[in-house]
Amino acid sequence: MNNIMGVVFASNLETKLNELTIRRTPASLPFCGRYRLIDFTLSNFVNSGITSIGILTKNNYNSLMEHIRMGRDWDLNRKNSGIAMFPPYAHNQSKDVYKDKIEAIYSIFNYLVKTKEEYAVITDSNIVTNIDYEDVYNYHIKNGADITMVTYEAEPCSLRRIIVETDSDMAVKDMYISTVSDDRKKQIGLNIYLMKKDLLKSLIENAYARGLGDFEKDILFKKLGQLKIMAYKVNGYAEIIDDIKGYFKQNMKMLDYKIRKDLFYKYGKIMTKVKDSVPTVYGDKANVTNSLIADGCIINGTVENSVLFRGVKIEEGAVIKNSIIMENGYIMHGVNISYAILDKHVTVQEGRNISGYETYPVVIVKDKIV
Amino acid sequence: MYSAKKETVTMLLAGGQGTRLGVLTRDIAKPAVPFGGKYRIIDFPLSNCINSGMDTIGVLTQYQPFDLNQYIGNGQPWDLDRLNGGVFILPPYVKGKSGEWYKGTANAIYQNIEFIDRYDADYVLILSGDHIYKMDYSLMLKAHKEKHSDCTIAVIDVPLKEASRFGIMSVNKNNKITEFEEKPQKPKSTKASMGIYIFNWKVLKKYLIEDEENKKSNNDFGKDIIPKMLADKQNLYAFSFEGYWKDVGTISSLWQSNMDLLSRDKKNSLDLINKWKIYARNTAEPPHFVGKNGKITNSIVTEGCLINGSVLNSVLSQSCVVEKGAVVENSVILPGAFIGENAVIKYSIVGEGGVVEAGAVVGSSQSGPEDGEWKIAVVGPKAVIKKQSVVKAGEMVEGGKQ
Repeated sequence: MNNIMGVVFASNLETKLNELTIRRTPASLPFCGRYRLIDFTLSNFVNSGITSIGILTKNNYNSLMEHIRMGRDWDLNRKNSGIAMFPPYAHNQSKDVYKDKIEAIYSIFNYLVKTKEEYAVITDSNIVTNIDYEDVYNYHIKNGADITMVTYEAEPCSLRRIIVETDSDMAVKDMYISTVSDDRKKQIGLNIYLMKKDLLKSLIENAYARGLGDFEKDILFKKLGQLKIMAYKVNGYAEIIDDIKGYFKQNMKMLDYKIRKDLFYKYGKIMTKVKDSVPTVYGDKANVTNSLIADGCIINGTVENSVLFRGVKIEEGAVIKNSIIMENGYIMHGVNISYAILDKHVTVQEGRNISGYETYPVVIVKDKIV
Repeated sequence: MYSAKKETVTMLLAGGQGTRLGVLTRDIAKPAVPFGGKYRIIDFPLSNCINSGMDTIGVLTQYQPFDLNQYIGNGQPWDLDRLNGGVFILPPYVKGKSGEWYKGTANAIYQNIEFIDRYDADYVLILSGDHIYKMDYSLMLKAHKEKHSDCTIAVIDVPLKEASRFGIMSVNKNNKITEFEEKPQKPKSTKASMGIYIFNWKVLKKYLIEDEENKKSNNDFGKDIIPKMLADKQNLYAFSFEGYWKDVGTISSLWQSNMDLLSRDKKNSLDLINKWKIYARNTAEPPHFVGKNGKITNSIVTEGCLINGSVLNSVLSQSCVVEKGAVVENSVILPGAFIGENAVIKYSIVGEGGVVEAGAVVGSSQSGPEDGEWKIAVVGPKAVIKKQSVVKAGEMVEGGKQ
């Protein structure tokens, strides 16, 4: 799909990931043992043949830059196209740090003009799914759509969700923002949009000139009658990660083989930065069940219903249940941990106990010693 | 073409057929055989090179080169994708009207004299692609320069009773080599050649050209070049290496070397985890999953595996499946192998993509090696062991023809 470019928002403005994003963008939040959230966005692009990708960041982007480097791990270090990283003030016309999506896109207007692709996909980077953009594009063309928005079925929660109502042909008839939890599943926007780049440019230019900022509220909702907006519903696993409870829940969902099969293999593999860790070593006292374990761990304790990232060390007598332990966590002898999220490089000293609740997992911030 | 001077050019001999590995090397060259969970044998010399600052490497391939060529690619996983230097696959090729295979280790280098000359090299480091070890070649080069040596050979102390399997050096107190014997019946020393040489390129080039003219020569470093240089009173020195080094040329030694990764005995095991990193091409698999019935002890497990059976004292490569009730003990499972429900695997190597169906039994417990050889059962790459069938200890099962 040489005819489509990608625009990625790495600093989603409305997430409530609190402690987990003190020092990183949601895009670089570690997920499922060895990934960062943006890996899904980038891999889906690359697997669909989209190789011209602009990434917009706002703050805390050091970890993101370190992760992506020149994009080699996604095969994006290309002579033609490849990754273009846009921190704030990347262009002359941005007099100030952008506040919202419309301003953000406006700040890279030159890039949109310069790139040769006819179509653009704009997407957030906290979306975990495996999607084939070639199929989205064909759907867009077949339906003669102006804009195709990717949707999924899920229960609305207390975070910002775009509820989409469609007719029997999947043409969008209504959409609105909900921040109310509901047990009934609804069709929800994944914050991924495909349209002609010229249309994107004119929408953004007009909205920016009028001082508007919210891409959904100020553009999509208002243009609903004038433009043909189609919904493309993802039929496999898809989720937006924007709070700690959801982050915990979705990591735990990865323990389900069917979900992993869908997410990691469906339309191509999910690539990430290669760290050349050694394989994981299990000791004589290791007792691991129902868990995902990345490379480079040294395990001699008990691990149940948990996700361990690369290089985690679990000493004899330690018991980890229902928890997420990020890279290089060091859990000493006799420690008990349940319902916790340990950010990178956390050390838990002998005999300490950490426990939270399924609906309220404890978060230990990066680099701490407990 | 841009090729600035390189002090040292490395030549990695990767053309051996590896006949003693049987079905494991039927379709791939020995250096491409998987090892230690996520590696292939050639990752060790390649990683040693880059860690030692040797960034210009010719890989001499000949036998079943496709997998190896594809694996090495542009050398990016080892940081060997360079503007000047990097890694190059050097197969035999037709020159003018004649073309020939590499007749021997020395002939392989002879046929690539032009490659080494292009970099105006002072020294040539010669490695082989069938050993597992971590070594800093820059220390050997330093010793080579200090001694004003014409040829430095890396040696390792081996037990006297095993010495007759190696090329054995006798040295004086300055480590100068006084005698070299290839596989002597009565070894005079325990210093065995590791097959790692540093030559002054000018000197070696002269000997290679002479050797090529000698029709009776085997065109081999150990049999021809080294004895000739000694006879001519050239300066040959031994460089003693201490640490783990294993020739993985046989099924028994390949299995043993994998098992050594699990050993607590630091002296006899390779520390994969230390700072001297071994690099490998990545397969982009998710973390491995241990199921509710999984039980893993004293083992190494790699990304992409699904383990729902019992795994003890074993090395599992990426994307292996061990189903419920299956038992894997003291075995090496190569990438993508499938072990069905209630199958029992003991003292075995299961090849890449090998399938052991439910209830099958492969290999059996061993109390120790007989005459230095373990009786390891081998399921060849892509071979299928049918339900409930039995593969005896030491037996080798070949996969379907490609």
